[in-house]
Amino acid sequence: MIEVHDLTKNYGAVTAVKGVTFAANPGQVTGFLGPNGAGKTTTMRILTGFLPPTAGKATVAGFDVFDQSMQVRQHVGYLPESVPLYRDMTTLGYLMYIAEIRGVKQRRDRAMDVLKRVALENRANSHIRALSKGMRQRVGLAQALIHDPEVLILDEPTIGLDPIQVMELRDLVRDLGHDHTVLFSTHILSEAEQVCDKVVIIHQGNIVAQGAPLELRTHLERGGRILVRVDTQIDTALAVIREVPGVNTAEMAVDGIIVTPTSADVDPRPAIARAIVEEGWNLMELRPAAVNLEEIFLELTRADQQAEISDIADDSLDEAEVANG
Amino acid sequence: MGKIFAVFKRELGLYFRSPVAYAVAFALLLFFGLWFSNRVDQVSQAQYPADFVNNVPSLLTFLMFLVAPLLTMRLLAEETREGTLETLMTLPIRESQFILGKFLAVWAYYTVLLAITVVYHIIVTQIGVPDLGRVFGLYLGAWLYGGAVLAVAMVWSAVTEDQIVAAFLGAATILMLVLVELAANWIASLPDQGTITWLVDFVREFSLPAHYDATLAVGVIRAEDILYFVFLMAAALFITTRIVEVRRWRS
Repeated sequence: MIEVHDLTKNYGAVTAVKGVTFAANPGQVTGFLGPNGAGKTTTMRILTGFLPPTAGKATVAGFDVFDQSMQVRQHVGYLPESVPLYRDMTTLGYLMYIAEIRGVKQRRDRAMDVLKRVALENRANSHIRALSKGMRQRVGLAQALIHDPEVLILDEPTIGLDPIQVMELRDLVRDLGHDHTVLFSTHILSEAEQVCDKVVIIHQGNIVAQGAPLELRTHLERGGRILVRVDTQIDTALAVIREVPGVNTAEMAVDGIIVTPTSADVDPRPAIARAIVEEGWNLMELRPAAVNLEEIFLELTRADQQAEISDIADDSLDEAEVANG
Repeated sequence: MGKIFAVFKRELGLYFRSPVAYAVAFALLLFFGLWFSNRVDQVSQAQYPADFVNNVPSLLTFLMFLVAPLLTMRLLAEETREGTLETLMTLPIRESQFILGKFLAVWAYYTVLLAITVVYHIIVTQIGVPDLGRVFGLYLGAWLYGGAVLAVAMVWSAVTEDQIVAAFLGAATILMLVLVELAANWIASLPDQGTITWLVDFVREFSLPAHYDATLAVGVIRAEDILYFVFLMAAALFITTRIVEVRRWRS
């Protein structure tokens, strides 16, 4: 369980994290999503006790990250973004060293167990410097698991891996999510959608949205652009669709017609379907055009940038909160 | 305690696996051997004093201004640069425990070097009867001197990520602590001694040789000298700990 309340971190004049509030629940993978420099690593470092917060409160496994740092550290496994390892040690030697500092009993057995879990048991006696990037990433993960922590904090664990390794690691993280609280940061949106039960989107130190990936997508697709494919002349179809109430613009695109509704509250899909059927054409496809988090994310962060000029973002933030209950 | 020991074990093991430590040991022991045989030569040509004591430990303490930075430059600079400090500082171990473990490891390595020089003492016992009190003072002094100097050199490894810079600054700091004695002597040589003798004494209190050369090295064991080295060690370790803490909190 991770609970973050109004967490702020300043580096001199720069505010890296601005009053962030979210929670990560046990038995779930929580995705921490944002572009580089959004404040993901800073937040994670605060949660692991590496950095003190400037203001706000965070508890991990029931302990305050600032006042009870040692207890927090006992209950957290952390994989830093750069995966720092002692390259002169063997995999097993390194894990046993970490286990010893962590006060783990039966260190050798425990180290072999976690190596099995990350599928590296055959590299136990290899020097870390001789391992590939993907293997090192897994050694880092094994290190985070050595004391069977309640909470796992993984900072961009899939970065720099090849596609097969990325898939393996995602499977592993999802699997770990069943019996741990996992906080997993990434800047790849499809990854968050694939791996996480819950997504927290952070941008420029602010949380811009949070919720289940599906929930977020549904919420943001409401009032979004619509893709229409009709079995007829494009020009005639465009003319008809433009006349449908609730349609603002209709443009031709590679895979069909992209329709923008007049406002976010309007869903012109039923009306479009009716109009097409009345014309006697065949409706081939009618769906929200934004099908992945990429577009949603762009949408959200764009809104956030506008917030500096107008108050639009406040509305969208409120909406996001309403949508999450 | 177990945590300190875990760090200690890893670091000490690293010294015995790293080429730098072997190169340092090789160079030192070669130099000691040549120096010792040359000295025995000189002594045997002159009237041989029956209580002749090997003074290789004193030579070692003198060379420590060069050796200590080489041994300590890696300790924290490498962890900071490689980022391994980040993992470590999210483990349930305090900076002080971690730094103490590292310090004890380098001091243990030094102790091994010092212990090897016992060989010269054994040779000396074959040709004379050295004063065991003096030998004890000599070794105790050299051991404490080494510990203090290593702790001082280690401070710079916490300050900078650059090992070469850490080594240079370490050497400069130790050299200053050695040369302060010259400053004291210079002040003492000034005319009009009446008003400034206290200053001479004060300045000399900071110098390493003032607490070793004329006292421990010749078998005079004084509490103030032992306290000086212990205090120097404790102060340097404390400063190192604070620097690591502050650097982490600012990072």
